[in-house]
Amino acid sequence: MIIGIPKGLLYYDYYPFFESFFQGLGAHTLRSEDTNKNILDEGVKHCVDEACLPVKVFHGHVASLKDQCDLILIPRIMQINQKEYICPKFCGLPEMVKNSIEDLPGLIDQPIYASSKKKLFTWAREAGSMLGADRRLIENSFTKALDVQARHNPGIRDEKYRITIALGGHPYNIYDSFVNMNIVAKLNAMDVGVITEEYIGEEIKSQELRSLYKRPFWTFARNSYGFLSYIARERRVDGIIYISSFACGIDSVVIELVKERVANMPFMVLKLDEHTGEAGLDTRIEAFVDMIWRR
Amino acid sequence: MKVTAPHFGNVHLAAKALFDGLGIEYVMPPMNNKIALELGSKNSPEEMCLPYKIMMGNFFQAMELGADTAILPGSCGPCRFGKYAELQMNTFKSLGRDLDFVVIDSPVELGLSELFNRINKISSHSKESRYGQIKSLLKAKRVMNLIDEIESRAHFLSGYEKNKGEAKDILSRCKNDALEASCPDQMIRVMDYYRNKQKSIEVDRDKRPIKIAIIGEIYTIIEPFSNFNLEDKLMDYGVTFSRKLTPSWWMKDLMLKPLGLNSLKINQKAKDYLPLGVGGHGKECVGEAVLAREEGYDGAIQVFPLGCMPEIVSKSILPTISADLDFPIMSLVVDEMSGEAGFVTRVEAFIDLLERRRANELPRA
Repeated sequence: MIIGIPKGLLYYDYYPFFESFFQGLGAHTLRSEDTNKNILDEGVKHCVDEACLPVKVFHGHVASLKDQCDLILIPRIMQINQKEYICPKFCGLPEMVKNSIEDLPGLIDQPIYASSKKKLFTWAREAGSMLGADRRLIENSFTKALDVQARHNPGIRDEKYRITIALGGHPYNIYDSFVNMNIVAKLNAMDVGVITEEYIGEEIKSQELRSLYKRPFWTFARNSYGFLSYIARERRVDGIIYISSFACGIDSVVIELVKERVANMPFMVLKLDEHTGEAGLDTRIEAFVDMIWRR
Repeated sequence: MKVTAPHFGNVHLAAKALFDGLGIEYVMPPMNNKIALELGSKNSPEEMCLPYKIMMGNFFQAMELGADTAILPGSCGPCRFGKYAELQMNTFKSLGRDLDFVVIDSPVELGLSELFNRINKISSHSKESRYGQIKSLLKAKRVMNLIDEIESRAHFLSGYEKNKGEAKDILSRCKNDALEASCPDQMIRVMDYYRNKQKSIEVDRDKRPIKIAIIGEIYTIIEPFSNFNLEDKLMDYGVTFSRKLTPSWWMKDLMLKPLGLNSLKINQKAKDYLPLGVGGHGKECVGEAVLAREEGYDGAIQVFPLGCMPEIVSKSILPTISADLDFPIMSLVVDEMSGEAGFVTRVEAFIDLLERRRANELPRA
């Protein structure tokens, strides 16, 4: 049995868990290729026009996998923390995919509530039974997968550069180097180091959220706001770049909240969509870095 | 204290009734207009959705009329609406404008005591007794239900009336006269009068008008300014149409949600296509489309603001429903850049399409 794992959306955060879990059940896992022009084009072709770039890219990954595997994992991540959502589009992701791409193999699309181990196991049980595994095997492989996941940290923390900037935004915009046109390497080449939200602890983020009038109900908002607000207040970096996708509903709110909070710090928002040109992006990054040098 | 609240379909009538009854000064923002939209767009994040921008405009215009306290309902996601208040508060603060916000959120989020605190902030300005306050709340609710009933009746009759334009005329006169009413009781009397008057509209029972369901994001379908008076236009075309989402439906839905008894029929119909809620009214949109087909409608029009997250999910599902059930559905996206002519052309073309389908159709099995 081959299970396809699309390299899109929260893949970068959670692939160790999924891969280890399914391999533990005796299945083969097949990742889609890194995002490339083909995948992007396929995604744009299949997906509904109004969706944001990451969702379109995800569609492209699914389309590229559909003839190569028996089942495709579409993580319908409903909740990571208690009382928080990811994004409406994540809750309806399997439906978006199902209704946009034809001739799909079976989908592993059970809802994932990861706010507690018990709730997450519900998903594991349902997904595991689709593969015909028995409960013992599922339990073992679930525990192992959690271990593997706990050791995983996709974050970046550069130290040996002369200036450091905080890179904010949703993980799939930061770690998909095709989508963001290799921004981390570009910054590094300009002698600029990068730090991402994974290196700020949960308690600190929660602490920062108290400055808000209302508790944010998106996990993305908690992470981005908590991270950037803290790092700007402590002046741990020289500037902030926020990578966001065009028409992202969550970012339209989060960016405003962050802007309000980090008024004393150089702050640039890079908007990505399928038409973003590399030259324009380069110019903006260079100008931003020059500006930091001159300050 | 001068209270204001943003426009939300016909809610301004109920709000007027409520605050008149409570004896609190209420500043109704001017009906939604271009200037409100311009003011709003200028002072909103670029990628925010249209309802936010228009509401911002409402606040600015209400402040010009002397309002100092804004009331806004909240929600706890995952749709952006729940975060409106905070951003708006920040914007007014950075502009140095004094506008107090009272955000009415769900008691689960706030805790009951905080909710009562916030309500008290307003109701303490009322001279009425507790009993009188509850009475005016009930009257406001009655106003809400009445206007929604009259409106949906007018939408139904516009396809069947013998004298073209009568249903629309009565509806618009009802809204105007209700606004002139001096007290809640009079407003209710005015509405009762027009409700009776609707019964005297002559109908042609042999007519088979085109029937359309309006689905989509609630603000953009109930707020005529945001959809270029779509409903007035449909009434002009002599189409019969219905819209399940109304402010009174919304209240009821909100109350029943904790019990899981809200909109049972819609949710049940949505199940095959979208089993889980995606925030906003994305699931309702899908359920209504299926329901509209079963109830014998000819087609459905979905309206939503650019970037609306829940409706993007439902939009990607609608083509499948359309193909599965042989049911035409058109999606219209609105924002501050939308042009009226393009919008109207699409609506007219859609109605033409439905008429031609009718002309070629075989009797439905």
